[in-house]
Amino acid sequence: MSAPLSPIALHKQLSRIWGTPPGWGRLSSVNHTILGKRFMLVALLFFAIGGLLAMLIRAQLATPHSAFIGPDIYNQLFTMHGTVMMFLFAIPMFEGLAIYLLPKILGARDMAFPRLTAYGFWCYVMGGSILIVAMLAGVAPNGGWFMYTPLSSRPYTPGINADVWLLGITFVEISAVTAAIEIVVSILKMRAPGMALARMPLFGWYMLITAGMMVVGFPPLILGSILLELERAFGLPFFDPERGGDPLLWQHLFWLFGHPEVYIIFLPAAGVLSTIIPVFAQRAILGYRALIAAIVAMGFLSFGLWVHHMFTVGIPHLALAFFSAASALVAVPTAIQIFAWIGTLASGRPRWDVPMLYVAGFFAVFVMGGLTGVMLAMVPFNTQAHDSYFVVAHLHYVLVGGFVFPMLAALYYWLPHITGRQSLYRLSVPAFWLILIGFNATFFFMHVTGLMGMPRRISTYPSNWGWDWLNLLSSVGSFILTMGFALVLADLVLQLRFGKPFRRDPWRAATLEWAMPTPPPHYAFAALPRIERRADQLRPAEIGPVLARGDGYLGFARDGQMETLGVDMVSGEVEHVIVLPHPTFLPLWTALATAAFFLALLFGQYWLAPLAAVVVVALFLCWPSRLGRTDDLGPVDIGRGETAPYDGEASGNICVLANRTALVTNGTLFASLLFGGLFLAVVAPN
Amino acid sequence: MSGQSRRALLLLFAGFSLWALAFVVFYALQALGCAYGWPQHRLILISAYLLAILAMAWLAWATPHWAGDKGVLPIAAKWANRAALAATILILLPVSFASACI
Repeated sequence: MSAPLSPIALHKQLSRIWGTPPGWGRLSSVNHTILGKRFMLVALLFFAIGGLLAMLIRAQLATPHSAFIGPDIYNQLFTMHGTVMMFLFAIPMFEGLAIYLLPKILGARDMAFPRLTAYGFWCYVMGGSILIVAMLAGVAPNGGWFMYTPLSSRPYTPGINADVWLLGITFVEISAVTAAIEIVVSILKMRAPGMALARMPLFGWYMLITAGMMVVGFPPLILGSILLELERAFGLPFFDPERGGDPLLWQHLFWLFGHPEVYIIFLPAAGVLSTIIPVFAQRAILGYRALIAAIVAMGFLSFGLWVHHMFTVGIPHLALAFFSAASALVAVPTAIQIFAWIGTLASGRPRWDVPMLYVAGFFAVFVMGGLTGVMLAMVPFNTQAHDSYFVVAHLHYVLVGGFVFPMLAALYYWLPHITGRQSLYRLSVPAFWLILIGFNATFFFMHVTGLMGMPRRISTYPSNWGWDWLNLLSSVGSFILTMGFALVLADLVLQLRFGKPFRRDPWRAATLEWAMPTPPPHYAFAALPRIERRADQLRPAEIGPVLARGDGYLGFARDGQMETLGVDMVSGEVEHVIVLPHPTFLPLWTALATAAFFLALLFGQYWLAPLAAVVVVALFLCWPSRLGRTDDLGPVDIGRGETAPYDGEASGNICVLANRTALVTNGTLFASLLFGGLFLAVVAPN
Repeated sequence: MSGQSRRALLLLFAGFSLWALAFVVFYALQALGCAYGWPQHRLILISAYLLAILAMAWLAWATPHWAGDKGVLPIAAKWANRAALAATILILLPVSFASACI
């Protein structure tokens, strides 16, 4: 290579290569920092929409005999609230966090397939928009967020409401599946040299297991959606009992996805906690190896629980016992993690800051949700509390406690990384207390209304059943909760405007993402580090300046190429140089063509759908047209006196692993189809 | 090094993969036995239960572990595989007493 550049010159050169064009060119971005931020921003927008829907629901239920909104609108509101929060907020939020953070925390310059990231983002935005536009047009899904058949079948939901859900969610799930494949590949193949799996920060382990769960957890729902849409559009009988189908098949397929989904949401949040808690405890996490085993156990056990959503449908005792035992047992790996976090805090020298407030809030709320979860895992109690507000209280304690509180901790912890400014904290503490008090006021009383017999999904209730004041308190609590979120939003805006800039690593953290300038440059690291110890016990403040001057791997710009390193999956030793693609509008065009496909199906224009599908395939075929090389160069310089071949010349490159992972997804889809066929053959042989 | 580490990574997921397989097989055996009225339904379930436990126990005890930084994955694998064995024993235990069909 030519003579080393000054850090400023190197920064300019790398920025030119890795940057995104201005103006409309921004839409061509494939950069993980930009797309991660966009994912999180759009997810927050959907969170606000979901929150607004919740306010309307609570306004309706605040008093008995309420005439605020009728049952038709109410059905759309609670369906959309659940749908938006689960599919358009929670999953994309952690996808965004993973896309933004993973390369930085693992020591790479981007994710494995930047164009796929962009394609996933556009599919998410367009699929989500279909649902929101449908809601504004008054034709939103109205059969509950789990769309149980036969209620969602054509005779009982004749309009396009159910189709909006089936097609919109399937469209959005493209982004979930592509993100999952990309996360698996990026974690396994794109860590800093020397970062063996045994040295990987726990956030990487959590995301690896989560993405693995998504690879096998989403196909059953995608299959269910396809089958139900086929039934609705073409009259093929899969779930209609009058024509030889069985509605329970939908429940099986939905919950095969739906229960792991809860853990798919919780595990990234747990990864956040395992990253933040050691920083504030000022010691390494306790039980690193036990936590890896616990994450693996949780990832698998969470698939063995799906029937606990179906305990009351008429299932033999033996099957009930299987799923009840598995449902109770999943608390064990969860408890191992909670004890590890408490132990880390107890044996460290904890310092308190705003992220830790939310960590404490998590402990209180999530543990309570977990305990009611164990109660619901018991068949006799489940039978009593089934479809009551007790379940609503439980699921909100688990999901808000297990995801929203950790994500708020993450927000305060990593926002300085995104903005380069530290929080002012004037509003942070009152915001936390409003959220904690408001949340408990809203949902604690739902345990009581549930135990008093109030069913879910009712739009109004009589005044003589003793539910009045409990519902009123819940509604008041929900508005306090909203005020808390509004204060958080104000706090963020103030931080962006008036926050104090800092130089590097304001939390005295020990992970790699703080070893880069903030806000982060498009190329993430000017040079990639060599990791010689566990990568959650590093000193970013010392490593950062070394990397910024290009002292490490690939600390130079070569031929205008966007280069990062591929490593051995387990040992983390360098295997090859990965050349990533430049910004392009292709992902946007492909997502638009995909949208055309789904819209054609939604509006019953079946002649247009195959044409759109052909355009999608044609556009995908254009993607690799200017990638790769036609000649072999052999090993090239990667810095530190070492060489490595380009990815096209290496056998175990990222494309091979991505294809294998995609085959697992396809395999799961066909296995689910086989399950469906066998189920119908046994249960509904006609 | 690489071969040994790769084996450790596979072993980390082996126990619970086997558990997942056993779980699905048992749910299927229970359903098919009821649907087709197998006369030896209980015997088949208990035999399969013992077989699953034997396989899981072998895996749990055969998982090697070695010390130091390289031992992180094998030790995690050993714990995960023992947890999978415990999960198998507990979750599938009802095959010995619970009524299999409605």
